[in-house]
Amino acid sequence: MENDTAWQNELARRARIYEDIEARGRFEGTMGALDYAAVTALTLVLVVAFWFWGA
Amino acid sequence: MTDHIAHGTLVTIEAEHEEAARHRAAAERGDAPLLPSERLWGFWEFTYANSALAIATWAFLIGGAIGLFVGPKEGIAAIVIGNIVGVVLTALATTTMSGRYGVEQFVALRSQFGYNGSRVVYVLAVVVLTMGWLAVLAMMFGRSIDGLMALSAGEAANPTGIKMIIAAVGAILVTWFIVARGPTSIKFFNMVVSPALVILMVVMLYLILSHHSFGELLAMPALSPPFEDKTLNFIVAVEVNLAAGFSWWPYIGNLARLTKNERTAFWPNILGIFGAAALGEIVGLLAAVALGESDPTIWMTKIAGPVIGIIALLFVAFANMTSMANILYTSIVGLRQVGTASVRAISWGTVLFLFCLIPLGLVVVYPQMYDGFFIFLVWTSALNSALAGIGIVDYFFLRGQKLDMRSLHGPQENGPYRFWGGFNPIGLFALAVGCIVYVAVFNPQTLASLPAFKYLTASLPACVAAGAVHYVLTRLFARGRGWGQYP
Repeated sequence: MENDTAWQNELARRARIYEDIEARGRFEGTMGALDYAAVTALTLVLVVAFWFWGA
Repeated sequence: MTDHIAHGTLVTIEAEHEEAARHRAAAERGDAPLLPSERLWGFWEFTYANSALAIATWAFLIGGAIGLFVGPKEGIAAIVIGNIVGVVLTALATTTMSGRYGVEQFVALRSQFGYNGSRVVYVLAVVVLTMGWLAVLAMMFGRSIDGLMALSAGEAANPTGIKMIIAAVGAILVTWFIVARGPTSIKFFNMVVSPALVILMVVMLYLILSHHSFGELLAMPALSPPFEDKTLNFIVAVEVNLAAGFSWWPYIGNLARLTKNERTAFWPNILGIFGAAALGEIVGLLAAVALGESDPTIWMTKIAGPVIGIIALLFVAFANMTSMANILYTSIVGLRQVGTASVRAISWGTVLFLFCLIPLGLVVVYPQMYDGFFIFLVWTSALNSALAGIGIVDYFFLRGQKLDMRSLHGPQENGPYRFWGGFNPIGLFALAVGCIVYVAVFNPQTLASLPAFKYLTASLPACVAAGAVHYVLTRLFARGRGWGQYP
């Protein structure tokens, strides 16, 4: 597969698509600050609550 | 003349379609990044897939093992705390980049460990872990079949006997057949088995609660606590669950690359992996403590009676196969990426079969492995927690969430991920530091620990130490040497 020109072209095409998406900032459904804040809060609440309840 | 031209155009279009299909299949197997339009799974489909992976009988097994250390109240707390922390850190390290770029996890790992270093990590983290889990799950399948045959015949089960071995070998071979047919067949299996497993767990929970009130269950003691110090027993239980959470590291990245975007790759882990695993473990814990037996293939028949017991065991046996299919698929996708050209030249079905040979051997010659599985699980956390720490630091803090698909998939010998002969000494050193910190804080074999273990666990210091070493040394040495294309 590595020596196959068609395959190398295909890899380049796929890389170019991602470079284009990245350059235009068009990644869909990216994790934002709200997502990271929400997952941090969820983790902390569960850890603290269950620590006090069960430990 | 017109017919000739039309025929020629048709042949060209067909050839293009065939080539596009070939490329897409290769991308699906991990040879290239999947484009957003090619990804199979939305939020709920990935949640089902994750649930099917997590809710397997290994959740019952881990829950039963927790019951050895602590009673149900402390056990439930340990299950929630250990799993949420382990799953979140693991998902951050693996699924965010796979979900964003559709990149195969071990190809992405070239940016952290070098193209040869990622091979070393693959062998350490995936080959050993997956082969071990395939063997354990197959043995559990075998024990379920043996248990239900004994139940049907009114005889005593023989958990290490020939029937168990034959059934376990059969489970591995059927799993091979399913995975050889590609991810679509796994998707079908997940969509059917996962919701049914949730129903089974609810039924089991109902049966347990119909014999004991929740208050009675919470007040029950541990089956076999190793220490007099209750806090130490609790932290060991948390550590086992952290290990369970981190043990998803080799798998969820390659499942997440099949999802449509980064959010869809991340959040279903909280619902599917954490939620389903916690539910399964809690059912396993309550049943183990209530019935005084940590092996699910035994307590299921005790609690449910012969008829429901047979149905439950049969179902759980096949649910095990779903998990086996998921981990086998993700492992082989990785193997094709880290393997040499000669490994990649082997057909998909053949390489799957070759991978199954060691689990087959373990099932036949070492069936006792099943009983010590949780020691094996905790050992894996020494590696997986350090890998998670390095992954988070590298992707989020050193690379600003940007990966170069061209360099990751192009020729590696002279590329930016060559590092030092294909190995990133910084990443590998950080990994070694993480593992050493883990074993120094807590020895999984003897359960001996430092005083700090009671306050910090072992997985978290290992994760932090590996991440910190990787960050500091990369900042100090990598950029000056032109290693790794760090910004």
